[in-house]
Amino acid sequence: MKKLPLLLSIGIAGLLSLAASHRSTNQPEGFLTGTPEIKSINALAFGPDGILFIGDSKSAAVFAIDTKDAALVEKPTEVDIKNFDQQVAALLGTTVQNITIQDIAVNPRSKKVYCAVQHSDGTPVLLKIEGNKIEAVALKDIRYSTLTLNNVPSEEAKDKRGQSVRVAAISDIGYADGKVMVSGLSNQEFSATFRSIPFPFTNQQDQASLEIYHAAHGKYETQAPIKTFTTAEINGKKYLVASYTCTPLVLFPLDELKPGTHVKGRTVAEMGSGNSPLDIVTMKKGNESFLFMANSNRPVFKVKYQSIAAYQGALTSPVEENSATAGVDFVSLPVTNVIQLDKLDDTRMILLQRRTNGNLDLWTSNDRFL
Amino acid sequence: MIGFCKHCQPGWIRLCTPHNLIFWVVIWLSACRHRAEMATVTLRWNGNRATGLSIPKNLLPPVAAGSPAHLPEIRLVGTGNQTAVLGQYRTAGEEVLFEPLVPFTRGLRYQVWVLGKRLDEIEIPALTPGDAPALLAVFPSQDSLPENLLKIYLRFSRPMREGQAQKYVGLLNNENDTVPGVFLDLQPELWNTDRTVLTLWLDPGRIKRDLQPNRLLGSPLQNGTRYRLVVSAAWPDEQGACLPKSYAKSFVTVPRDSLSPDPGQWRINQPQPGTGQPLEVDLGETLDYSLLRETLSILDEGGKIVSGEWQVMSEEKKCQFKPQAVWVPGTYELRIESRLEDLSGNNLNRPFERDVARKNVPATAIDFFERPFRLGTTGHVHPLP
Repeated sequence: MKKLPLLLSIGIAGLLSLAASHRSTNQPEGFLTGTPEIKSINALAFGPDGILFIGDSKSAAVFAIDTKDAALVEKPTEVDIKNFDQQVAALLGTTVQNITIQDIAVNPRSKKVYCAVQHSDGTPVLLKIEGNKIEAVALKDIRYSTLTLNNVPSEEAKDKRGQSVRVAAISDIGYADGKVMVSGLSNQEFSATFRSIPFPFTNQQDQASLEIYHAAHGKYETQAPIKTFTTAEINGKKYLVASYTCTPLVLFPLDELKPGTHVKGRTVAEMGSGNSPLDIVTMKKGNESFLFMANSNRPVFKVKYQSIAAYQGALTSPVEENSATAGVDFVSLPVTNVIQLDKLDDTRMILLQRRTNGNLDLWTSNDRFL
Repeated sequence: MIGFCKHCQPGWIRLCTPHNLIFWVVIWLSACRHRAEMATVTLRWNGNRATGLSIPKNLLPPVAAGSPAHLPEIRLVGTGNQTAVLGQYRTAGEEVLFEPLVPFTRGLRYQVWVLGKRLDEIEIPALTPGDAPALLAVFPSQDSLPENLLKIYLRFSRPMREGQAQKYVGLLNNENDTVPGVFLDLQPELWNTDRTVLTLWLDPGRIKRDLQPNRLLGSPLQNGTRYRLVVSAAWPDEQGACLPKSYAKSFVTVPRDSLSPDPGQWRINQPQPGTGQPLEVDLGETLDYSLLRETLSILDEGGKIVSGEWQVMSEEKKCQFKPQAVWVPGTYELRIESRLEDLSGNNLNRPFERDVARKNVPATAIDFFERPFRLGTTGHVHPLP
């Protein structure tokens, strides 16, 4: 008889452990429900199953939030919103000069456009756009996971108010092959930080950053902060395709991005001065793939990945390829002042463009640029 | 009154009393109703930011018992459209509170609408001249700068509006012509956490020798030239208040600096043990203001950080450390993080541009440099080998 309570308790314990393991299979590791303390939204990127990565420079953290927007939409409604900034400003009860559009990212599942906006007082807002409808994305009582970047300065490095003077601004975020990639710029030293962090996040991440160098013409080598990047497959190998703050286009084989290493990018193109690259996307039409790059002071550039592949095959020494011809040929599209760019599907892009009439429009490109 | 009463019959007065009572009750009820109508929409503040609207429930159309109140819409006046401002509603006692996603904007007017009817209009008070921000300092502060200068810092008194630097900061040359393409148009801009210090990068593509931009356009700054950095008074802070005046800093360029700072050449003064005299470090050249504030520390014999405060002075050529406690005789160490840079981005480990043909560059970088020193009982600093 004494065995009965024991058996019962073992049975209950077993059932409980089953229930617990069942729950853990539904919830990605490290996720919890609550309200993330997001202080700024500088960069957005989508991961798997509607997970949105938010780069928060002020918190020196990456938040992964579950948007619960993971239903697959094959044929999305095209976005075409005239005076997008004015519409957003009106929704926020203010005028356009008081808002800054920080980033846009298209959910690859639902194809909805997510947009990060910052109010002049620094308050971040996350919006969702479907067709011509703009709505706020609630950031309260959601499922999320956080990764604090381990570059937070020591106590001594804080000012009298306990705030750090040093900021590692997150310049771009991307997700590929189970890894979140984060590029950062420092407001102090001229340096490059680039992290490739496995997702789901755990407490024991190896966050040692890469040292990225820029070799110019075999003569000089400098640190090279990455402004924006994408990933692509070239000749069957996966690459990080990045653009530095001084605009050259560089390639890194993804499998060589090991923490704590001194990595030199292979520069394949120089694209002009006084210009900061804004966004890079990889598009595809048939068997051909293309790279599109939006720029602060240049039109949108288009580069054929075939040209990049051919260029790679033709040169052996990374430091000699930067000639006065400035590397791979690229085409300037008749699309200027594009300040945000993301991929809707293989052939269509979402563009936020300042038109010649001064309007800031959010629109969907067709495949005529490919 | 006495005369009037003399003319009144006692019975007539008795008849008037109930009428008087009714009259005063009506007046009182009317006053109460009027008082209820006086309840208006009011602003909720968080510091100097208008972060909410409080709408008395009795202003809203009545609903059946147990039903939720008709929620009002808040609209910005003067936009020509009827967009409802995004925000959250909650009920607190006899009020409905509306909190917009971002604070209401100073100087703008908002209307409260419910079921197609305008309930009220409210103006957010404009800022006063006392709310204006100020540009406190520009670094580097000296007036001769290397032609390969990499960064300029602007320090403001209040958090400023981001993404505006290209509009409000300019560089003029000897002839008062604007020098184009000097600063990198970086979005997002590099602000500190509270948005009071902005880092501006001079275009690194033009500074890095032999890159296309450098070959075609040369360095952003030319040696031996006088320049004027101008900050426009139109630059607004986070609330929309602008700088009270424009600001200009003149400087002349000297030949490029391609050498790493050498802490071995720094001079350290002689604070007296038993006193709280500051330790002064003479750097021998101007170094990066922002990095100087974070990369220096003093360690005691046990390797523990000595508490105190660092100050950057003398046009960023000197640093001063004031200890919290008095100096104790013994061996100390001045520790310098190797990420410390000079004005041209040369840090302690490597110059901004490393000439790959030269082999005298250390293969491995170290995290920090150390300058040990001893404070003797005589109060003199004894540099250690």
